Amino acid sequence: MELFSYSLRKLATGIPLIIGVTLVSFLLMVYFGPDKTFELVGKNPTQEQIDEIRAQLGYDQPMVVRYLDYLREIVTLDFGNSESTGERINALLARTIPVSIAVALPGFILGNLLGVGLGLLAAFYRGRWPDKMIMGSAAIGMSISFLIVIIAFQIILSSSYGLNLFPVRGWSVDSFGDYVSYVTVPTLATVFVALGYNTRFYRSVIVEETTRDHVRTARAFGVPSLQLYCKLILKNCLIPIITRIMFSIPFVVISGSLLIESYFGIPGIGKVTYDAIITGDQPILKAVVALTAIMLVVVQLLTDIMYRWVDPRVSLK
Amino acid sequence: MAEPLLRVRDLAIEFDTQYGTVRAVDGVSFDIYPEETVGLVGESGCGKTVTGLSLLGLIPKPPGRIAAGSIEFGGRDLATASEEELRTIRGSEISMIFQEPMTALNPVFTIGNQMADVLARHKGLTDSQARTEAIEMLGRVGIPSPARRVDEYPHQLSGGQRQRVMIAMALSCNPKLLIADEPTTALDVTTQAQVLEQINKLQEEFRMAVILITHDLGVVAETCQRALVMYCGKVAEQAPIEELFAQPRHPYTAGLLSSIPRIREDRPEHLPIIAGRVPDLLHLPAGCRFAARCERALDRCQTEQPELGEKTASAACFNPVPV
Ligand SMILES: Nc1ncnc2c1ncn2[C@@H]1O[C@H](COP(=O)(O)OP(=O)(O)OP(=O)(O)O)[C@@H](O)[C@H]1O
Ligand SMILES: [Mg+2]
Repeated sequence: MELFSYSLRKLATGIPLIIGVTLVSFLLMVYFGPDKTFELVGKNPTQEQIDEIRAQLGYDQPMVVRYLDYLREIVTLDFGNSESTGERINALLARTIPVSIAVALPGFILGNLLGVGLGLLAAFYRGRWPDKMIMGSAAIGMSISFLIVIIAFQIILSSSYGLNLFPVRGWSVDSFGDYVSYVTVPTLATVFVALGYNTRFYRSVIVEETTRDHVRTARAFGVPSLQLYCKLILKNCLIPIITRIMFSIPFVVISGSLLIESYFGIPGIGKVTYDAIITGDQPILKAVVALTAIMLVVVQLLTDIMYRWVDPRVSLK
Repeated sequence: MAEPLLRVRDLAIEFDTQYGTVRAVDGVSFDIYPEETVGLVGESGCGKTVTGLSLLGLIPKPPGRIAAGSIEFGGRDLATASEEELRTIRGSEISMIFQEPMTALNPVFTIGNQMADVLARHKGLTDSQARTEAIEMLGRVGIPSPARRVDEYPHQLSGGQRQRVMIAMALSCNPKLLIADEPTTALDVTTQAQVLEQINKLQEEFRMAVILITHDLGVVAETCQRALVMYCGKVAEQAPIEELFAQPRHPYTAGLLSSIPRIREDRPEHLPIIAGRVPDLLHLPAGCRFAARCERALDRCQTEQPELGEKTASAACFNPVPV
């Protein structure tokens, strides 16, 4: 019950955030955005034709009405049709978001798990050679461009110059085998790029925790190192870890990874968003922005609930 | 006299710092006998905590290390013992409690959980046995309604209660030696007295020796049989309490005693203080470390380091305060 009323209150306080985000994006995309009338009317249009197109695009309405329309779309979760393909946007999202999740999830999970693992290892051997090796590799990984990593992995793993183990481009989830063959290289590339950042972050969180008094107490009572690091210290680090993971979720789900999806020819939401930006497909962009804002609010709520769950000192007030 | 429980000889502890290596503890020797309470006193930074930590092999390394000396306990040398060996001693044969009760317990586990963990590890109890034992220990250290408290988290307890929990945890495996590092400094005066009384009472029940680290000579006078006065990483003087308070031999001890405020008829205008500053560990004088602040210093004190005698009452001083 406490949880329920807290959730309601929290979601209510999310409304201004959603309005703020959508208003700013609306101003940038629509108010200052391109006018597409003449792209669509064809040559030598009559004034009637022009007016008709403008009415179709909603350009004849005042800005306030158009923004309120946008809000109505958000509330009803019905974003209309794409301007470039005419496809219903809800159908488009339902088709592409699961693909983006399927592409990004293994890398996301693996990148964070390995990041925490290596962070623990580096923190445990702080200042000694395993730490130096891990942190050195992390720095190298962070300084290589994502693009180069993708191309290098493609050449090494998917081309006839290299091992030629996986398809270079494309997407299929017809069977689990297909899924694995298409998802492996994108996953490896994502992990390679994210791991450095994750490891650095998690190591610093864990090292910070090892300086706490309760760690000295645990040592003074004979707690073995494995239990000390993997249970006592890790549980105390869960708040920053959860925060980092949870707040990257909206971007993993909604924005997808543009580079991954375009370089591997994967029909996910990242690719769709990119194309929408290029063609100025406002309905799609408005839907993506709104969904990201809504996800952020939901994630914030879930994160708070998880805090309560890992740290008894947090109260949901 | 009986065999000492703990025999520390020429203990030296070093830390690597940005500016070079410092010897935080230099040539400290002392014995602790079964069931006695020994005060370890001295100004902030003189090496009390580090000495206490070294007895359990808890010097953070890097940057620290035991550079020399031996710590004999139960036929082993703890200064060179393996981590495995030390782990079986920590919390079972030698326990330590710390200055900061507010942060010394793990905030995300219940106190029962933390106590049961120690009992399960050292006594091999099952979860339910350990829990029963934890509740009993909480009762013995004076926590009201322990069966309910056992499932609470540290932040739900007051500072005094948390220190009691620490004491309960420290005594739960019947240690032979308890190192109490300023256990009451962070508490208010009334709570301080209660916690000290509790430690004293339990010491008799559990028949253990206690090293009480403090900079409060009043506490030492009330609770200890003997005291070691440390100055700048060395033991300046050791003596039974009555002798120490009645006839301090080391000028530093004498200075410390005269700087305790007490309720007396003749209220002095100023509380006497020891003039000068503690030398920096990076720039130690060649002779006695107290020489620069000492009213009784001789020429010899500037060049030679005085040694502490082997006797139960001795001062590391070339020109001790006459009896
Ligand atoms: N982790 C460390 N790194 C470097 N030097 C240290 C470290 N821990 C302690 N020292 C050094 O050891 C000296 C003694 O410290 P210690 O904590 O034992 O003092 P103390 O007598 O317990 O003082 P207090 O009354 O303030 O608790 C300090 O002056 C410091 O220079
Ligand atoms: Mg200290």
